[in-house]
Amino acid sequence: MTTNNQEPNRIAEVVETTTTGFTAQCYELYGAPALGSLVRVGDPAVYAVVHNVTTAALDLGRRVMARGASEATEEAVYHNNPQISRLLATHIEALVVGHDVGDATKYRLPSSPPRIHGFVYCCDANEIAAFTDGLDYLHLLTSASTPAIDEVIAANLRLAAESHSDPDAFRIRAGKALAAELASDIARLNAILRGIS
Amino acid sequence: MALDLYQTAAQLDAATAHVGNRGDERARNMDIALATLRGADAATLNARVDAAQGTLAFLPAEAVEDPGVTHSPGPLPDDFTVLAVDGSHIDVNRHLPLRCSLINIGGCRLTYGAAPNAHMFSKPSLRTSDTDLYLADPASSASRQPVEGALMGLVRAVQEADALADAVEEAGSDLPTLALIDGTLVLWELGGDRYPAYVRSQLMGNGMLAALGRLRTMAQQRTVAAASYISLPNSSEVSNLLRLALCDYDPMGDCQRHCRAFIPGDRHCDAVNEFTDRDLFSRTLAPGERSALFASRSSVVRDSYGDHRVHFFYVNVEEEIGRVEVPAWVADSPELLELTHTLVVDNARRGDGYPVVLQEAHEQAVVTGADREAFAAMVERALEGQRLPVYTSQKQRSKRMRYV
Amino acid sequence: MSTNGNQSDPGKLMGGTPLGTVVGGSLSEGVEVKLNDDASVEDIPVGSYVVIQGETKRFFGMVNEVKLAATDARLRTTPANLTDPFVAEVLSGTAAYGTITVRPRLLLPMIAGSDVELAPARTVPAHFARASKASDADVAQVFGVEDDRHFAVGTPLDMEAVVCLDLKAFVERSNGVFGKSGTGKSFLTRLLLIGVLQSRLSSLLIFDMHDEYGWAGSDAERGRQVKGLKQLFPAQVAVFALDAEKSMGRPVKPDVMVEIGYGDIEPEDIMVLRETLNISEVAAESSYSLERHFGKGKWLKAFLELEGRDAIFELANDININTSALASFHSRLTNRFARLPFLVEKPSQDSVQALMDQLDKGNHVVLEFGRYGDDVPAYMLVANLLTRRIYARYRDRQMTESVENGKSTTPLSIVIEEAHRFLSPAVASQSTFGIIAREMRKYNVTLLVVDQRPSGIDPEVMSQIATKVCCLLDDDRDVDAVMTGTSGSRELRSVLAGLESRQQALIFGNAVPIPVAVRIRDYGTTDSYDSLMRTASRRSAGKKTATSIEDTPSPSDRSEPAEPQAAAGRKDDEDELFG
Repeated sequence: MTTNNQEPNRIAEVVETTTTGFTAQCYELYGAPALGSLVRVGDPAVYAVVHNVTTAALDLGRRVMARGASEATEEAVYHNNPQISRLLATHIEALVVGHDVGDATKYRLPSSPPRIHGFVYCCDANEIAAFTDGLDYLHLLTSASTPAIDEVIAANLRLAAESHSDPDAFRIRAGKALAAELASDIARLNAILRGIS
Repeated sequence: MALDLYQTAAQLDAATAHVGNRGDERARNMDIALATLRGADAATLNARVDAAQGTLAFLPAEAVEDPGVTHSPGPLPDDFTVLAVDGSHIDVNRHLPLRCSLINIGGCRLTYGAAPNAHMFSKPSLRTSDTDLYLADPASSASRQPVEGALMGLVRAVQEADALADAVEEAGSDLPTLALIDGTLVLWELGGDRYPAYVRSQLMGNGMLAALGRLRTMAQQRTVAAASYISLPNSSEVSNLLRLALCDYDPMGDCQRHCRAFIPGDRHCDAVNEFTDRDLFSRTLAPGERSALFASRSSVVRDSYGDHRVHFFYVNVEEEIGRVEVPAWVADSPELLELTHTLVVDNARRGDGYPVVLQEAHEQAVVTGADREAFAAMVERALEGQRLPVYTSQKQRSKRMRYV
Repeated sequence: MSTNGNQSDPGKLMGGTPLGTVVGGSLSEGVEVKLNDDASVEDIPVGSYVVIQGETKRFFGMVNEVKLAATDARLRTTPANLTDPFVAEVLSGTAAYGTITVRPRLLLPMIAGSDVELAPARTVPAHFARASKASDADVAQVFGVEDDRHFAVGTPLDMEAVVCLDLKAFVERSNGVFGKSGTGKSFLTRLLLIGVLQSRLSSLLIFDMHDEYGWAGSDAERGRQVKGLKQLFPAQVAVFALDAEKSMGRPVKPDVMVEIGYGDIEPEDIMVLRETLNISEVAAESSYSLERHFGKGKWLKAFLELEGRDAIFELANDININTSALASFHSRLTNRFARLPFLVEKPSQDSVQALMDQLDKGNHVVLEFGRYGDDVPAYMLVANLLTRRIYARYRDRQMTESVENGKSTTPLSIVIEEAHRFLSPAVASQSTFGIIAREMRKYNVTLLVVDQRPSGIDPEVMSQIATKVCCLLDDDRDVDAVMTGTSGSRELRSVLAGLESRQQALIFGNAVPIPVAVRIRDYGTTDSYDSLMRTASRRSAGKKTATSIEDTPSPSDRSEPAEPQAAAGRKDDEDELFG
């Protein structure tokens, strides 16, 4: 649980892992990347999209108590109870959307999931642009059954667009790829597109 | 169905009915006890105890101040550190295929003020070697005591104290620091002749006292107070002291001689005997206040603690009355004593009646039932990994796999 | 999955613009192609050509249906927030997409441009084969490039490639040019005639009803006159004229003034006019009785010279024909024929012989009707009479020649307008035209029928029309008539219906490998003449080395091409000519 200074993009560590996704504990309380962010873990890299962020007591058996009744500000609650930031942890849950094989990026699940304690890095703009050059990963996202996945997809594409030299062109391209995935569900497609435009 | 809670509840009802009937008498006694406490004079009582040397059927405290005085906490320092250590262990279990035990020491360091910070740690240590599992007589290799049961608890208590000294050292902070242990500073079980001398010397002189000594050395450089905190204390050393104030016999306190024929309840001193120290101080201490300071007269303390003689006071932490034990060098320093009092009250307030730092140290140290099972499974797996034969008692197996 | 926008530009020659992917279909209905999201239905008119690259074959086909579809039916009822241009752009081509149906017609060689015979497509491309617009190279592969045998008639509607008619196939069989009036039939016919004329594959006899082909024609749309065959090919074209008065006003006089002797008219010529003149069958058939009565070659004159009811009654009695029928017949014929100046007792020359002389020289004859073009019975009478007699000559000659040396004479194509009048079910069985159409090229004579009402033509004759060049038709019956017996008529109908009313035509049949909708090449401007003549001169130049090509008929008595005159004519400005 120590902040790591050498690698600013290193934000979390895998604590639970499955074939389709993993949970990682952030090094900083509330240090989760934005919803929909692309993160990478392991070498060769496994890529995943953050679809849920949770902050709760580290020990699931302990409930968090309200402590601010006599505090003036929310900050004061944390200030006067320094242990809180050690007892709470922010976790991100991410859906695996691809992995590197040699120099190529495959938009499918790796044969084995990332390892526990794998370091999780926030992808930088170059990595995002490179990964989202292909959009086949949208299939993995659209077929995921996690709650509010559509919001996640929209958020992911909004973020990805910023990493491309021509964001509008990317949005169109991504939209069309989505339309292909969601061909039979216009209502859903429409909802996501609203979130991208 | 394991425990039959219906039957238990019925028995409980019968028991509480008896308690309720005694309400009036108890209230009368409380009035007497409180009056006695308020009027008690330290010198007089201490003299009576000294006079009754050896004839008392009970253990009274030594009053350092008049027992009835109370003290408000001092001003809270701007910046300070509170530190605590707690431990728990897995005892040797003959149902396990490997003779082993485990001590887990957990700790927490909280810094308050301009740069709040928190640090927590836990350090498990598996004990499998002979030196871990037995306390041997250095003089004769033939005699040794297995570290199990009560002795295990003593070893753990010593390790806690040691870990506390380590933690203060590690913190290396110049801030006023309170180092807390959960429970008592007194290794009661080492009293009497229950254990051979070599055990006592290893746990006491080279153990607890060495750790306290390290703390005192640090306290000479900077503001460090060491203490232990007992929640819901059940001790009666102060009320025992007050019994001497009520004793009508001469010589006072020769219980064997005067009161052997009385059924408890009929003696003069029984008006206070009914109450624990906590009962009394819960009526006299305002929130945040501490009681007068007392010193322990237990034989263990008297015989072994030397410079670290254990002193104690009670404190109202709003939700309850707690007991704080400090070594003599803290008790003798008004500054450290006030710091201890003030920070215990503050930290308990932050923790809704129980010091946060102890809560968190406990959380770090605790070994849950699930952990115990996981530990047992790990032991078996490790042995299997080494291709060593694994014997598990059938009882153990039946516990782990509950089948119908 | 890359939708790289600049992918569509390069490769005009390598391959056409990618359109989409085959997703279903059948040989009979055509294969369905889902359009790529960058291909718009708006750019793919029905009738345009598509090449589908299958696994082992390249298919060449024609778009016969364009549809809009949606992956989710809800898109119809609850359209997305299409006011958002982003959403609209995303959905178009994906959730809402276009499909086209392509009917595979031909197999192209896998390597574009290689010289392999085109085979008809007997299967369809596999799923997910890539469809693209046919490139100019593909179209050239299918329709050939202009040469001795191929004549460029225009370009496909949405392309710049050239569509060529296989003239050899064209002249072997009877053909038709159809279209409602005002669609440019004669304009189109004139072009076709120039093609045939230049190819020397066939002689032409043109019954030029409205004087469109001989000296000059009209371009109604641009309100100007255009050059006729005689102006372009003066040495190869002989203009015959019926209307002496009108022809005299010309800068160049007709080569021959045609006169018809009464004696040349036979009962069969009258039978052909039966419907047009509204003569009862009994009355018409009385011609034969009259011929028997008055004698061959004399009957009409004698009959028309009868005067007064008594004389008719008497004759009716003599030849045992209903009196009133004969009287009505007499009055009809008198009204019609007595006033025609070209009908004479004794013609100054034998027009048929003059015609045959020209044809035998390898020349082409345009018979201009002048004012009589508006007199349909007169037109029919003359056309039928001359055709009958020429056909008889060809038939005789063919029989003897084929016996003697097995060598065929130069084929003859006869061009008639208002063809349905000659070829209606009632008349076709008896008219020479009907016989020619049915007998096909047996005697080296074929028809080029020009008509606005093909539904009036005997279906049996229609089925013998090998190549149909079809401008816009309104009447469903006419469309039915044209399409009868054509495979894939359903899509051709939609192509036909989609034609513009001028200068566009659907061509299908023998002379083209697959049906093709073309924008007819320009005609009437100096440039257009130049390009036509250039083709002619190129062809003539090529001729010198190509005379030995065995399938090119080159009769020994054919006159040399009139190159100098043609070149001179090219320099003439049409304004000077017609000022």
